[in-house]
Amino acid sequence: MNLKIETRVTDGVTIVSCHGRIMFGEEATELRETLKRLLASTRQIVLNLSGVTYIDSGGLGTLVGVYSSARSGGADVKLTGLGQRLRDVLQVTKLVTVFEVYDTEQQAIAAFRRGAA
Amino acid sequence: MAFPTITGPISEAGSGIFPILVFVQGNDQRTINLDHSPFSVGRKVDKDLVIADPRVSRDHALIVSENGQFCVIDQSSKHGTFVNGERVQRKTLERNDRLEFGVRDVAYVIFHPHHASSNSARDFLSQISGIHISTETTDLEKLTLFLEAARKLNTIGVLDEILVTLLDATLNLTRAERGYVFLKAEDGKLRLAAGRNSKGEPLLDDKTISHSILEDARKSNSEFVITDTSQSLDLAGRHSIVAYDLRTVICIPLRKPQVQTTRDAQGASPLEMSAEVMGALYVDSRFASRDLSSVSNDILRAIAHEAASLVENARLVQAEEAARRYQQELAIAASIQQRLMTVTIPEVPFARLNGRNLSCKEIGGDFYDAVNTEDGLTVVLADVSGKGVSAALLASTLQGMIFSQLTARMPLPEIVAAVNRFFTHKHIGEKYATVIIARIRSDGELEYVNCGHVPPLLVCNHEVIRPSHGNLPVGLLADATYESDHYNMHPGDRLVLVTDGVTEAENARGDFFDNERLEAVAAKSGTLEDIFSAVANFCGGTPLSDDCTVVELLYTG
Repeated sequence: MNLKIETRVTDGVTIVSCHGRIMFGEEATELRETLKRLLASTRQIVLNLSGVTYIDSGGLGTLVGVYSSARSGGADVKLTGLGQRLRDVLQVTKLVTVFEVYDTEQQAIAAFRRGAA
Repeated sequence: MAFPTITGPISEAGSGIFPILVFVQGNDQRTINLDHSPFSVGRKVDKDLVIADPRVSRDHALIVSENGQFCVIDQSSKHGTFVNGERVQRKTLERNDRLEFGVRDVAYVIFHPHHASSNSARDFLSQISGIHISTETTDLEKLTLFLEAARKLNTIGVLDEILVTLLDATLNLTRAERGYVFLKAEDGKLRLAAGRNSKGEPLLDDKTISHSILEDARKSNSEFVITDTSQSLDLAGRHSIVAYDLRTVICIPLRKPQVQTTRDAQGASPLEMSAEVMGALYVDSRFASRDLSSVSNDILRAIAHEAASLVENARLVQAEEAARRYQQELAIAASIQQRLMTVTIPEVPFARLNGRNLSCKEIGGDFYDAVNTEDGLTVVLADVSGKGVSAALLASTLQGMIFSQLTARMPLPEIVAAVNRFFTHKHIGEKYATVIIARIRSDGELEYVNCGHVPPLLVCNHEVIRPSHGNLPVGLLADATYESDHYNMHPGDRLVLVTDGVTEAENARGDFFDNERLEAVAAKSGTLEDIFSAVANFCGGTPLSDDCTVVELLYTG
């Protein structure tokens, strides 16, 4: 397993920080299961990917899958901490138009606050 | 144990493990499991098949197993043994052979071998059970020997059959009424793997098994746990014991046999006791029946030891089988991939097309295709996420869908939209594909639709253009929309399409080959070989982690 996932709550928003590689297989499964568990009790998740060194096509599929199922369940997942490589990947795949991406964790949390207000 | 089991109609007979004899006498018909060898036929009451008719000799014939086949041998009977109407001294039996012993037509036997080829371990066990083994050998030691032999035969489904045989042997040794083997499932819980009663009938998990005792045994460090309910008052409250009059329960945890490690400074640690529990062997008897507490501890210890190594060995056999199947699956995926990559490139006067794929060790989901229609020459390059059989199958489906729609001359954006609808509708997990479809017309007009794929390279006079126009991959989001882009090619212009296996080829330092290097080599050279050798040079000895596919379209005008 090359992925470490940490979870904490800030201002009522669940922050999920990933460290390592998000790959097709056990890493992607771990991420999916973690988010699925969290989505049972929270509707606001910020996924901080600043510690992610690599994401492969399977990992990207997982991200989109989690994002879609969160949306259809009335919850929202915002992304932050995207490295250059991940930005490139999202650009090439045009998924940058699908995800809500923020430069910092604070901005992502603030976006939730605005949405709630 | 040596008596045949007599059951109802054939369809219900046995487990399919043994060959079956269907004995027909007048209006009666019964099936007999041919579960040992030699199997005797005659008028004497100690025969395995007794036919009470004066024309049948007392010791009439034997059915023996030889080299995986069964053979009938006449024992100098007075009125003879017949196979399909022909008198024989000795004959190898085949499916549906009709055997008659002295009496003709009144009584006969039909032989049904177990499923065409006998590759079951139990069948094998039954066949070699006639072999003489030193009488000093315990039943369980015999089993271990058989298992070793069965393993060499590369049999399938070994574990189940070993468990049943193990239970029969244990019931025989302990003289208990019922026996069960539980194995630890992936979730750590004990699940029933096999159950037998002393009559050799299969048993299912039911409420009459004391699961609390089973749990106690699992947690305890003892080699076995004997519970005599008549002497333990604290057990009185346990449901199954009260409800079903359980008298004695013996529970033997099956612990993974440990390789003897060198003892550390602390001396003999209770290593064996802490060994991982793989399951439990459980036997019991009711009040009304016999008392099991007289069973010798030596026997139980022997069972505990041998049963665990049997189960472990059987598991190893299964693991080998699973590994073999995995290899087969990979071979299937590889053949799918091979077919996908076998592209007949259409000959057109205005363009030349070349494609090449370099597969990494694992099977990926890359494919390319080319179709020539009145609209022009179309090239497709796709990369399905993930690897292995599922990726290869999805790639194959995708290729078929795109091919048929191209030949139906559907507009490119509509083709990918249809494919996207299909994939998202079918909810194919989180699998998706990046696809690029490009069509060149004879007048040089290029139309392409890029779905999340590495941007194409347009090489015009050693200058490389990377059009960034693109759409979402197919299969991710149901409501995605797709648009195509256009470009005018001039004679000598080239369109180079690659999968991300090329741009993400890594060297030992973990750097990617990336777009800059790709553009540099594409700009100065015209062959696919140059691109592949540039990737190979860059990677050094680092093996590819993803398939690399490059397709090049040259517009000649």
